[in-house]
Amino acid sequence: MKRRTALQILGGGAAALVFRRPLWAAATAPAASDEFFIFVHAAGGWDVTLWADPRNERKGIVEPASSENTDIAPITRWKPARLDGEADTFEILAPGDCALRFGPGIGELYDLRHRLTVVNGLAMNTVSHPDGTAFSATGRHLQGGRLPAASVDVAIANELGVEQLLPDVSVQFPSSFVGEQLDRRAIPLRVANAGTISKSLARSDAYFTDRDRDAITAILSDEAHAIANRSTYPETYQRLESQDSALPHLLGDELKAAFTQKVLQDSYPEFDYKARFIGGGVLAAAFAVEAMKRNLVRCVCFALGGLDTHNQNYKQHAHTQQELFGTIATLVKRLDRTPHPTRRSAKLSEHTHILVVSDFCRTPQINLSGGRDHYPNNSALAITPRFKAGRSFGKTDHDQLLPADSGLRFSDGPRPIAPPDLLATFLHAFGVEPRRYLRDGEVVTEMLA
Amino acid sequence: MKLAALLAIAACGAPATLAPGPSEPLPAHRTIAIDTTPKERRRMVPPEVYLRAYLGWFGGLVPLDVQKRAQPKGLFDAWDDYLAALGLPDYRIDLPRQGQSNTLMAATLGRLGEALCVRAVEHDLHVAGKAKPPPIAARVVFAFDPVARPSLAQFTDRFDVLHRLFLGYPAKLSPPDRVQRFYLLYQQIAAEHGAKKGPLTADETAWAAVCSALVQHPEAELY
Repeated sequence: MKRRTALQILGGGAAALVFRRPLWAAATAPAASDEFFIFVHAAGGWDVTLWADPRNERKGIVEPASSENTDIAPITRWKPARLDGEADTFEILAPGDCALRFGPGIGELYDLRHRLTVVNGLAMNTVSHPDGTAFSATGRHLQGGRLPAASVDVAIANELGVEQLLPDVSVQFPSSFVGEQLDRRAIPLRVANAGTISKSLARSDAYFTDRDRDAITAILSDEAHAIANRSTYPETYQRLESQDSALPHLLGDELKAAFTQKVLQDSYPEFDYKARFIGGGVLAAAFAVEAMKRNLVRCVCFALGGLDTHNQNYKQHAHTQQELFGTIATLVKRLDRTPHPTRRSAKLSEHTHILVVSDFCRTPQINLSGGRDHYPNNSALAITPRFKAGRSFGKTDHDQLLPADSGLRFSDGPRPIAPPDLLATFLHAFGVEPRRYLRDGEVVTEMLA
Repeated sequence: MKLAALLAIAACGAPATLAPGPSEPLPAHRTIAIDTTPKERRRMVPPEVYLRAYLGWFGGLVPLDVQKRAQPKGLFDAWDDYLAALGLPDYRIDLPRQGQSNTLMAATLGRLGEALCVRAVEHDLHVAGKAKPPPIAARVVFAFDPVARPSLAQFTDRFDVLHRLFLGYPAKLSPPDRVQRFYLLYQQIAAEHGAKKGPLTADETAWAAVCSALVQHPEAELY
């Protein structure tokens, strides 16, 4: 080997040692056992130029939202700014007390800007709904249509939630339970609607009493236990035993009554259950507060949708975002008023961590149908005391709205932030070793509080 | 023809000769144990298959029949409410199927099983307003003559009918304590409802409970 080649190799190795930031090198955050988590999937792919990465100028291929392509009447934060001709665009919300900049889609959540962490320029490398959804929630692209890894809610439930009665409730969220090392109790309870949970637990009193049902579930637990003791592979029977054992707690009258649609709506009237575009998912937010208040869950994840606007329905995109972020703002404000179930004098919001992701973002240009199509860029929102609040991370380029060098030091050189980095950082913030769940991604310590 | 015969003779040639020598002993007889241990852990029955089994057990019903029969008195709602909770995919909202069971799925299947068992008791055993229950051949689940407050032996004979139906093999081949355990359940439920006036008698309610436990049994849910 030539001397020059040897020096190059040595130099490269030294540089790698300096710049490489392996996951295990990051300081381990304290484990979290009484924290709660809410994961929201903004289904359909959002237009980031209307909220996290606002654009109000024609530059490159960027065509901003304007009074020509957007129904601006219901948008409370839309302050008109001159674009050209008869059209107005919006004034960017750039508060002097905070480094963040927003478009009008942020709605009521703007009032909570000091608590938000925004990640822009997420490199999605996909424009497919299923793939983008999977990538945002698991940090992996689909493999032959299958999810290759566990989603972030399952990872959190597996690490911090298996002792809870309902470790992970998933209402149309892209949860995936993949991996042999996972505790079966972390299997997400997937439902189409939060109201279904109460229906599944409902029982007629006409024939059986609760004592009868307790006796039935007790015999099922005993049978599963007895078979597990005789089985070569007892794990499956043990899982059934644990599920049957949990049933009497779930089937109690108090719990059933607390989660009916009517009771949830009456208990949390501040949510807009009749929201025009995302109404169906709002009940899950009320369910999350109630279930956390009762210390029954560790994670509640749900989808708030209606953002896939390829055609003239783009006119309502800003309104849909306003409803989406309005729901999250209402949720945070409610958590502020709700006491933590186990920590005396602590508010639930101090120990509840919210991550909002989407499939991808929408094209910067308006298409011939008056809408925006899929685009391989993305933004995400975190509301957690474990992240630096009032800050944004990551960038996009000015002309094409594509992910650009984030300015962060990654082991593989300058590059944009990608979903696995965000998920790894989120897991690390709660003392979870990200490599147990993520093949890719690096902890971005700059994001952590 | 002659040419063909000549060719055949030429092709066969002289037979090979074996050199004489001592005969080799036959290899010793070896006993090969049959390995009957399962090579794979039990898996959840796919929800479609499980629901198909439900429909078959309760008289070959179609799903809408089940919904119709199970709905009265708040026993069940509509299938649409439970697709995801039962693990089925819901293509209207792009929700994929679930690969693993969970507590909510167990609760939902329990609700459905309870509804169907109660309806089956009403059909097969309940005699209110009728001279006698339908003949055994016309019964859906409880194909036996019920006796009031059965002894263990009487219970075992009748339990065997249900055990064969739901779990697919005779009760006498089941783990040793199972019959006793279910007999205790029967007695407990019957005692609980002995003094109560309900839509079913105490024995009928107890049989409905036994049925409800068997349709949710771990052996019925796994393969």
